[in-house]
Amino acid sequence: MSLPCGTRNYNYAQDMAIFRTRTHWVLLIGFLAVLFTVPPLVFNHLWLNTVNSIGITLIAALGLNILVGYCGQLSIGHAGFIAVGAYTSAILTNRFDMPFLVGLISAGLVAGVVGIIFGLPSVRVKGFYLAITTIAAQFIIIWVINHWGLTGGFEGISVPYASIGGLVFDSDVKQFYLVMVIVALAVFFAKNLTRTKVGRAFIAIRDNDLAAEVMGINVNYYKLLAFFIGCFFAGIAGALLAHTTYTLTAEQFSFTDSILYIGMIIIGGLGTTIGPILGVVFIKITQKVLLPIYLVPFLERTFTNFPAGFATGVAPMVFGLIIVLFLILEPRGLAHRWNLFKAAYRLWPFSY
Amino acid sequence: MDQFLQYIITGLSIGMVYALIALGFVLIWKSSSVANLALGQIVLLSSWFAYSMLAQANLPPYIALPIVVIFALCLGWVIERFALRPLIAQPILSLIAVTLGIGYFIEGIITFIWPWSVDALPRLFPTDVVHIGPAVISQQYLWVIGICLLVFVLLTLFFRYHKMGVAMRATADDQMAVQACGIPVTRVFSTSWMLACVVAAVGGVLISSIGGITHGLVDTGLKAFSVVILGGLDSFVGALIAGPIIGLLETFAGGYLTAYTWGGIRDVVPFIIIIIVMVIKPFGLFGEKRIERI
Amino acid sequence: MKNKTLLIINTIVCLALLTFMVPFLSGCGPAEHPGLTLKVGIMTPTTGPAAEKGVPLRDANLDCIQYINDELGGVNGYKIEAINLDSRYNADQAVTNINQFMDEGCLFFTTSSSAEMSYVQEIANRLGFPGLVAYSSPNNYHPPQHVYGQMPDYGDDWTAFTKYYLENIWQGTGKPKMALMVLNNSTGAGAKNAARAMADTLGVEIIATEEHAATTLSETVALSRIMALNPDVIYISSTPKPAALIISEAKDLGMYPDVTIGVCHAAMTSKLVELGGADIVEGVYGVFPTISWNDDVPGVAKMKEYAAALHPSDVNNGDYIAAWAQSLIIAEILKKTLDAVGYDVLASGDATAWAAIEQYGFQGLDGYDVGGLQSAVKYVSGDNRLGKSLRINRVTNGVITAITDWVEAPLIRYEDYDWFGH
Repeated sequence: MSLPCGTRNYNYAQDMAIFRTRTHWVLLIGFLAVLFTVPPLVFNHLWLNTVNSIGITLIAALGLNILVGYCGQLSIGHAGFIAVGAYTSAILTNRFDMPFLVGLISAGLVAGVVGIIFGLPSVRVKGFYLAITTIAAQFIIIWVINHWGLTGGFEGISVPYASIGGLVFDSDVKQFYLVMVIVALAVFFAKNLTRTKVGRAFIAIRDNDLAAEVMGINVNYYKLLAFFIGCFFAGIAGALLAHTTYTLTAEQFSFTDSILYIGMIIIGGLGTTIGPILGVVFIKITQKVLLPIYLVPFLERTFTNFPAGFATGVAPMVFGLIIVLFLILEPRGLAHRWNLFKAAYRLWPFSY
Repeated sequence: MDQFLQYIITGLSIGMVYALIALGFVLIWKSSSVANLALGQIVLLSSWFAYSMLAQANLPPYIALPIVVIFALCLGWVIERFALRPLIAQPILSLIAVTLGIGYFIEGIITFIWPWSVDALPRLFPTDVVHIGPAVISQQYLWVIGICLLVFVLLTLFFRYHKMGVAMRATADDQMAVQACGIPVTRVFSTSWMLACVVAAVGGVLISSIGGITHGLVDTGLKAFSVVILGGLDSFVGALIAGPIIGLLETFAGGYLTAYTWGGIRDVVPFIIIIIVMVIKPFGLFGEKRIERI
Repeated sequence: MKNKTLLIINTIVCLALLTFMVPFLSGCGPAEHPGLTLKVGIMTPTTGPAAEKGVPLRDANLDCIQYINDELGGVNGYKIEAINLDSRYNADQAVTNINQFMDEGCLFFTTSSSAEMSYVQEIANRLGFPGLVAYSSPNNYHPPQHVYGQMPDYGDDWTAFTKYYLENIWQGTGKPKMALMVLNNSTGAGAKNAARAMADTLGVEIIATEEHAATTLSETVALSRIMALNPDVIYISSTPKPAALIISEAKDLGMYPDVTIGVCHAAMTSKLVELGGADIVEGVYGVFPTISWNDDVPGVAKMKEYAAALHPSDVNNGDYIAAWAQSLIIAEILKKTLDAVGYDVLASGDATAWAAIEQYGFQGLDGYDVGGLQSAVKYVSGDNRLGKSLRINRVTNGVITAITDWVEAPLIRYEDYDWFGH
């Protein structure tokens, strides 16, 4: 990454550091302070709900980014793995009365294992074949959820409040803190992954897996590990989703959601950590605030002679169009733009 | 046991429907190595357009159906020109994601123009039933099977003998050599997309005339992927044979397995087959094995 | 100078006094309470997959509230302020909406469909925020807590139809054989659960339960399996499109009209006749919890007037009736509560207000006839269904006509069965 002018690295620790200069640290601590104090005080229910949703989606998107962006394994069934995590947590806390933390970690582990099972074909195929396999995985998972008595079948399952020790997370504000802490951990983990041997192996596999195998990287092991980590994140996100919406039905995890996750990481920028953050924030705010509150009612009011409900189509149109446009015009996503902006800021007035 | 014959016939007819949609997919893959994940939505859009022509504008079928074909040609050209041409040499993730994006966009357009989610096409084929032994089959299905076979024959002849068809096969094999020979590769891509959309439109109109237009056509498109995987991604014959196989397996599962497992297994059988095929024989029954070289 | 200052001060004081006096001077009619409203949250699926039902539902809800506010002067002089939010038939949005309702101080909320209510019933039940659902399903209020059903649910549809069949159509001896074709969501699950609970008590034998998706292309396989078991009656608990498909395929296979077919209220609409073809669905039985547009009951005239004036495209739409009835019930609930405890308790819009609404409003309903549009609403302890009766209809000459009067569907205590909810 480009460093401010005059910053030199004198040892490996400095070279590998994520937060290198004092400015970085100040900004980070300031941002965290603002993040944990301002929203609960200032936001109303709608915005708190949106922020919670952004946090949960971000965890899942980080997982998908590790799988697709760092390791190059196409996976279009992410909503299915999130569902696995959500239902695991729901079943453990509802039917078996386990504590929330046990449910959370188990959700991640079970989703990871399911991810490995459906990721087994990745050792044989790649590209489009793997994408189709993950699509099939999503549909099979949804079918199992819909029919298994343990998961409540079509009527869904209700989820008790999350509680750690004696602290019960029963309001938007408390859930905000829970979600944000886990998001911070997840972002830190994902960012750190690139500095480790595992992360470097992923990137090698993405760039050319035959060459990676020739170099001695155990490609099969790392591919399955990527599936495990990606789906672990998805499971955690699913568990949090279960405990913030209190009821689960399989309709909340549709194929369209999987497409939207792919869209989020592509728009944000594959293979970076800031990418999913930007992508998720962009799409979620559009989806939850801009469209339902401003654009759709405006359209419904202005064009009353169109058939009823036509403005529902605006959301898929907008998102589909954004995905296509980003792929054509800015394939490296918003993260690339952000990096350009940072570079221009540092080099001003010589930015080019 | 006399249900057995009924299952076979129903399975074959549904399978031919899947095969027809799968042909559209194979067409694009064969010529440009692009996986068209928006196939279900294109089928649905063509069906809705046909509904517009037939039911809303009240045109007679022999005018409306050629208009639908022309619409499909335009749709294919537009998609290829504006969404796929700029991405010609990009990695496969971009190509798949762009077709996903297009599919999503088309779903939005469909909800935008026709927000009521279900409707029925006027009957295009006679609906009397034909009795084969103790089983019945609606005449509509026989028409579907016939038209599907016709499309298959036409496509095979096109690829074998027509100049553009040969050019498509060559492009699938080696794009640079084709360019060196002076064949406009972009025109090849355009034509393949246009033809694929026409095939999808024909399939869509046929299916909707039987079961009406619902969002389920998108799910049928997804099931067509299992046909493509089983038959081999770049083989017409594979699609044609795998289609009825998947249809039969689905019907038998629905008929015999429903009692032993949970309900609705009929819908999930194609996806289970995808996973099984991936593990055993990833390139399908008739697919060409791709050997990758660094 | 001094005079001018005094003049200015005097003018200012007089103007201030006048401004203060105006509110008191203007309230000279019947006890009106301008600015004091009764807030109710109304959630409808106006956009999204159920938009074609959601729009008439929202139109009727708001038209009726406008009628109550304009012509009847509100409830006991207080205007109803309806906060209408679109749920987009989506769990996330429904949860956001109910939080917004509670934020804005709504006294209770309503939803149109069982799916929307199932998304938010956990929150409503945990916080004690009462809710009313129009098209309900048993899992909304079994075990009964703070959610109430306006009309009988899909389980009651099955029970009422089966009772009618046994009493009026079945002519053999012993138990008739019934096959269920259910949609793979709560619509179908309602009928399935009712059958599981009550089949033995009523005296039918369920020989097969076949599930299908709303987007199915063909149900011939399922029908062939059923045909092999020789059913006497088939009950379809689904939406119009799959029901029409099943009926037409049953006809192709030669099963219909030998076998009686009954459908639930989701399918027994004009859409069924339209999609299936009047010749194919002729003679099909079904249940429906409201009247139809052509029936002559006291409440129909006003409804027709407002529909024709404000939303002419909704005239003859069955969902319009259900939502109009829902708004009438909203007004009745508010009236009962105001009569019992007065406005001050409700002004706060918090948990005490909700408790009062539930105790005196919902549970105080005592046979209100809703203008004859649906069965009379009355609360009986342990049964959160407010309306308990339906009518049996039949497709005759392409038109759905009622063939019975209001038939009560008995309460089924699903929560007593250990297989319920698992």
